[in-house]
Amino acid sequence: MIDENRLKILTDGAKYDVSCSSSGSKRKNTADGLGNAAFAGICHSFAADGRCISLLKILMSNDCVFDCKYCPNRRSADVPRASLTPEEICELTVGFYRRNYIEGLFLSSAVVRNPDYTMELLYKTVLLLRTVYKFNGYIHLKGIPHADKLLTQKAANLVDRMSYNVELPSEESLKLLAPQKTKKSIFTPMGELTAGRAQYLAERKKGGGRVEMKGLGRYLPAGQTTQMIVGASPETDGKILRLTQAMYRKFDLKRVYYSSYIPVVQDPLLPDKTAGLLREHRLYQADWLLRFYGFTSEEILPEDENLPTEYDPKCAWALKNMQFFPVEVNKASVEELLRVPGIGAKGAYKIVSARKHATLTFEHLQKMRIVLKRAKHFITCAGKFFGSDDPETVKFRLMLAERTDSAEQLNLFDQGLLPPADAEKFLLRSTPQNALAVLTGQL
Amino acid sequence: MRNLYYVDGSPECFFTAVFEAWKDGNAYLFSQPNIQTGLGDSWHDVTPDPAKAARVVKKLAALDSRAPYEIDCILRSFSDEKEQIAFEYIRLLVQGGVPVRERLSEPVARRAIELQQKVGAETHNLKGFLRFQETQGGVFYAPCAPDHDIVDLLMPHFVSRFKTVAFVIHDTKRHVAGIYDGRTWRLCATPKNAELILTEQEDGFSRLWKQYYNQVAIPERKNTRQMKAYMPVRYWKFMTEKQGE
Ligand code: SF4
Repeated sequence: MIDENRLKILTDGAKYDVSCSSSGSKRKNTADGLGNAAFAGICHSFAADGRCISLLKILMSNDCVFDCKYCPNRRSADVPRASLTPEEICELTVGFYRRNYIEGLFLSSAVVRNPDYTMELLYKTVLLLRTVYKFNGYIHLKGIPHADKLLTQKAANLVDRMSYNVELPSEESLKLLAPQKTKKSIFTPMGELTAGRAQYLAERKKGGGRVEMKGLGRYLPAGQTTQMIVGASPETDGKILRLTQAMYRKFDLKRVYYSSYIPVVQDPLLPDKTAGLLREHRLYQADWLLRFYGFTSEEILPEDENLPTEYDPKCAWALKNMQFFPVEVNKASVEELLRVPGIGAKGAYKIVSARKHATLTFEHLQKMRIVLKRAKHFITCAGKFFGSDDPETVKFRLMLAERTDSAEQLNLFDQGLLPPADAEKFLLRSTPQNALAVLTGQL
Repeated sequence: MRNLYYVDGSPECFFTAVFEAWKDGNAYLFSQPNIQTGLGDSWHDVTPDPAKAARVVKKLAALDSRAPYEIDCILRSFSDEKEQIAFEYIRLLVQGGVPVRERLSEPVARRAIELQQKVGAETHNLKGFLRFQETQGGVFYAPCAPDHDIVDLLMPHFVSRFKTVAFVIHDTKRHVAGIYDGRTWRLCATPKNAELILTEQEDGFSRLWKQYYNQVAIPERKNTRQMKAYMPVRYWKFMTEKQGE
């Protein structure tokens, strides 16, 4: 069994990666194997910072030859170094999984010696875990930029999800803060994985599903994700969201994570303040609009602006587009309902299914637990309007609503607690064609 | 003036009561023996009748394929009124002919769906919060004390994960346990005290897990309130990482 000291160092090095989600995969167990994956993901614990713990998130090693300015494990830093062998990682994962501490493994690593050497070890670990340890639980593997393509493809065949972190939202910032990484070194493997997945799906279709061996051989069922550090460099939210949108379209990413910069490292090139949770939260809200509500980044804000702090991005959009409102809840389409401030996927679904059987009044909506403090200014119920006509009053009320929201609500979007699968389920259950269009952003 | 239908807590007895009370406008179904009775209430002990129960279930499934599952959830909840709520759910379904969850403008529908969601949510939570310990016989043991009666709902999930390894999920509140021997599982009543001998490895893994749990939190982002909101304190009793806090 590994010692507590190495576990401490290697957990410390991995914990700033935001993603801990175990969703998106339906991997089955094998006859004598251990574990499977739950499509919606499962949280096994919650840490003192309120984040969900789902996976054992750990570095294989923190002994890095790269020198990213913001990273405590960079080559030039004077910190204790530690590594785990593939066997040690497997034993820890399986030991934790059997006790139901975790849903699986999120394995990443510093660049040890060189990218290929590191990727080889990572591949060896997941291969061991899947074959010798017969582990069929969730595995998220973080790819190593510049590593050999073949190795990466082989690893992708074994794991549920992979991610390459974009880290910084522009090439200039990367050059400045992560000198060994380039846009190309990150986007190239992302593109190769997207192509690999498409090829796998095509072959499966041809083979009538037979390509899909049990447990092994499923190519990234939970897709790819990435992460950006917000506030370490000067890019605006407008710029960040355009990059996000481009990546969703090009690489078919499942999620983009935003991590508000926390100064763990002192450097003249880096700010000494954190960007704050509110900015991160607003980006997640806008991201949600891109993925599930049929918005485009151009609709949400101009490229050189930041998201407003006073209210959420959907409110901001609605205030600028009052000509679309109010909409009648008994008649509006799903996509119209989804554009009403305060009405989410769940609310839209509730409305659409309840109005089949009764003409909905304001009281009905209240009783259905649909939060109306924002929505009431943008809807009519059976022809009646309960909001305010005066734009300034509406603005003021929306700001007030934001301030009275509890801390829990503020955090629902973050940390992957509302797994996308959940939202998809609600949307898909409403009216298939419309909702699908919303989901794919084809509206 | 109510006609009280006292059921034994089993689904079969409940569905029999639904059959018998169907035309009775004053029916009140319950399984909680210490109910407050009023003057003029009349009391019927319901005897389970498989044929009657089956007819009701069949009818429900024909109207809404999810209904049997939703009612099963409601009947597992800790609410004293669960049988009556389930009964009214069924009336609403039969009268309206559409799934009850689509009729949230009806008060009964909201209460029924709320109970069903609570049971569903706890089942989902415990799939994550349950903690197993390895005993010397090689059997993995997980104690719990859920609000609702859900041990048998948890079993299939862990059976498909553990496959060849035997395990026990023990509801210490209701004194029942789901027992899996590596091939099949069943539900058993348990003695009040069971003694466990854990393996030596067990202590090592639980220390590593506590270490991991404490280390993975970001100190600059401490948020105890949110942690407790997602992981209610009542579950901590059996969670390894929360021992000795
Ligand atoms: S590659 Fe950069 S970010 Fe990753 S461990 Fe090395 S220095 Fe840190």
